[in-house]
Amino acid sequence: MTSLNGYGSSSSTVLSQTNGVNGHTKSPLRTKILLLGMRRAGKTSIYEYVFNDLPAKQTFYLETTTRVTKHHYDTVIPLEIWDCPGTTTLETLETPLTQFSTLIFVIDIQDLYQQPISRLVDFVISAYQDNPNMNLEVFVHKADALSEEYKIENFRHIQQRVSEELLDISEEYEQIPINFHLTSIYDHSAHEAFSRVLHKLIDSLPFLEDMLNVFCSNSQSSKAFLFDTKSRLYVATDASPVDPPTHSLCNNYLQMLNSFGPLYKSVSASPLRQRTISPPELTPTSSGVTSPTTPHSVPTSASETPRVPSSSLQHTSPSSSSQQGPSTPLSPTQSTPSVSSPISSSSASSTTPRRKSKISFYPCASTSLSPSASGAGTTLTYHLINPKLALLALLPTSVYESRRGLVEYNVVFFREGVQEICEVEDEIRKGGGG
Amino acid sequence: MKKKVLLMGASGSGKTSMRSLIFSNNPASLTARLGATVDVEQNHVRFLGDLILNLWDCGGQDSFMDSYLSTQQSTIFSHVGVLIYVFEVESRNMTKDLEYYKDCVRALRKYSPEAAVFLLVHKMDLVRGNKVQVLEKKSKELRVASEDTPITVFGTSIYDESLYKAWSRIVHTLIPNAAVLSKHLTTLAAACSATEVVLFERTTFLVIATSTPSTPSTSSIPFSQSHTPSESLQSTQSTQSIPQSSTPTTSSQSTGISYTSDLYNGQDGVYDSGPHKMDPTRYERTSELIKAFKLSCARVREDFHALEMELPEFTAVLDELTKNTYVLIVVHDPSIETAALKLNVRLARRKFEELQGDSLVS
Repeated sequence: MTSLNGYGSSSSTVLSQTNGVNGHTKSPLRTKILLLGMRRAGKTSIYEYVFNDLPAKQTFYLETTTRVTKHHYDTVIPLEIWDCPGTTTLETLETPLTQFSTLIFVIDIQDLYQQPISRLVDFVISAYQDNPNMNLEVFVHKADALSEEYKIENFRHIQQRVSEELLDISEEYEQIPINFHLTSIYDHSAHEAFSRVLHKLIDSLPFLEDMLNVFCSNSQSSKAFLFDTKSRLYVATDASPVDPPTHSLCNNYLQMLNSFGPLYKSVSASPLRQRTISPPELTPTSSGVTSPTTPHSVPTSASETPRVPSSSLQHTSPSSSSQQGPSTPLSPTQSTPSVSSPISSSSASSTTPRRKSKISFYPCASTSLSPSASGAGTTLTYHLINPKLALLALLPTSVYESRRGLVEYNVVFFREGVQEICEVEDEIRKGGGG
Repeated sequence: MKKKVLLMGASGSGKTSMRSLIFSNNPASLTARLGATVDVEQNHVRFLGDLILNLWDCGGQDSFMDSYLSTQQSTIFSHVGVLIYVFEVESRNMTKDLEYYKDCVRALRKYSPEAAVFLLVHKMDLVRGNKVQVLEKKSKELRVASEDTPITVFGTSIYDESLYKAWSRIVHTLIPNAAVLSKHLTTLAAACSATEVVLFERTTFLVIATSTPSTPSTSSIPFSQSHTPSESLQSTQSTQSIPQSSTPTTSSQSTGISYTSDLYNGQDGVYDSGPHKMDPTRYERTSELIKAFKLSCARVREDFHALEMELPEFTAVLDELTKNTYVLIVVHDPSIETAALKLNVRLARRKFEELQGDSLVS
């Protein structure tokens, strides 16, 4: 996929540079995000709330960050988030700005004094000079502290101040693109803002979005999100506008599903539950042949990344169950994907001899919401795509109930596509850069 | 059928907040806006359709308390089914609280000797040290103050699931046919090859009844006689006390502490409840999770209706059973499809509707 490089050329230069600097050629090249702001602006709170699921109320007890903390987080792309203490300036930050693909500056919405603005302006100017392709984002944080009108007023005020300061220094600087986001950890605006930041870093975003658009139009879905399950950031969405309440609903749904798992997990019944691996003696070609009969044919080409040892990831269970013989849940639809899978499995057959397990069970869930005044009921569906990503979509209940098989059929192809993209990303980062 | 429930306690202890959270489906954050209750607020809460909880939320300020114990005594304390007395875990004046409490209990014994007494040690989220120890200490004090009245103590907070647990237990004692319901749920569980079937009330999502586990829950850990929090105490009791609604006071007296101490002790401790060893706090956590989700649906102006999930650990279906109840079926057998479970729910509906209608009339 050569077109990938054309999308975010700056990120690939960053990657190649960091590879040389770090010398860690074996670990994946990480996209670096710099998290800056004054003391007590809320940087660590945002990080902990989004990435470590810390309840918002408990962020109050977090201690001040005294040194730069580098957090690794893997989603569609591997990230390295640098949480810096409030006193960080250009000089104290020893690493050159060229290493980073994004700079997030957090400002407390009520902090209208000079200091944060001038600090921000300093960083903006250096970033512009050293690394013009760097994404500059400002989180106007703690928006929950103010009422609606004051919130917007302060937000605009801050934007204006920054723009004026830049103009004072040079006319050219006023044109520097900076994105402002209104955030709070007491609702999902922090997730929304961070999601948007993430979008700019994903090279393959257009492909993911495209697939989502196709999925939505073919399944009559009004909105679909590809969420990172742990952080609940959405990696991609379809072309329709993102409506905060809908995003909140999907976010809450995902949160609920994540919490449900451990509750009814049965320690003694678990061995029964794990779908057993299909006997390793099955050669890839024969698995292609047997697919019409067993309801787990499809992701043969997709299971290239070695996922067997990672049973700690709850959502993946090493593959097909012999117990599934009698019940073929997706039987009406399985006949059709299996037609295509011999093709894909034969192409993959040269590589599959190394991989023994075929993952075939993917968790899914659906919630139906009753019809309201606005129209017919909606169903919120959840399908796990890979251990880190899940597809959440809103569909009309009538469609879901009458055409569930087709929807799931579409999900299967969507899943394959996303898995391929993720594999390519992995390969590039592990092998490339130098 | 009406059951009178008295909700009493010192001013500001959290009685109205509890009511707001559980019965009015408001989020915990909204309780900050509630003002002091003036005199008694009577609410008729329709529970399970035909059961009406006549909830008397009695304002806790001194002047009101004094009047309840003097002029209004017979009005307040007659025909009471359940007394729920709320104490703040970090009360400013525990002696005064206890004095009022003792007087209330005396009055209750005089006018409604059959009433059950539940004590809630509330605002547990404010305790910074070892919650279990604090709760134990408080419980001892309360037991002494209650003299010979059997009581059940719960540690609660509106910010976690402990409140649902306490109220589920309380309401459970008020449901006349809980044992019958449980028996039918067990039948349903067997029909679905389910590990567990739980019945929730629709609006409050409090647990009404659950199916009993298929094999007797004899855990290998010996039953411990001491009142110190031990998972074994909790395990042998937890699966058995739920269907028994007949002797709430005596059997739950000793389990009262262990439930809550289990909650604050270690939810990641021994998940010992029956042969499947599922998380012991799952009922109340389910209540809490579903209610939170319902709230977020309400914000998008949609109503939560039903849910089904196929996760690697289990398969579950949560659907309406009767017009007042929801049923959750949890299955650990991977070959069972959600559609089959939903079909069974549909078929069971009529029976449960009948059950509800019958029992409450008698």
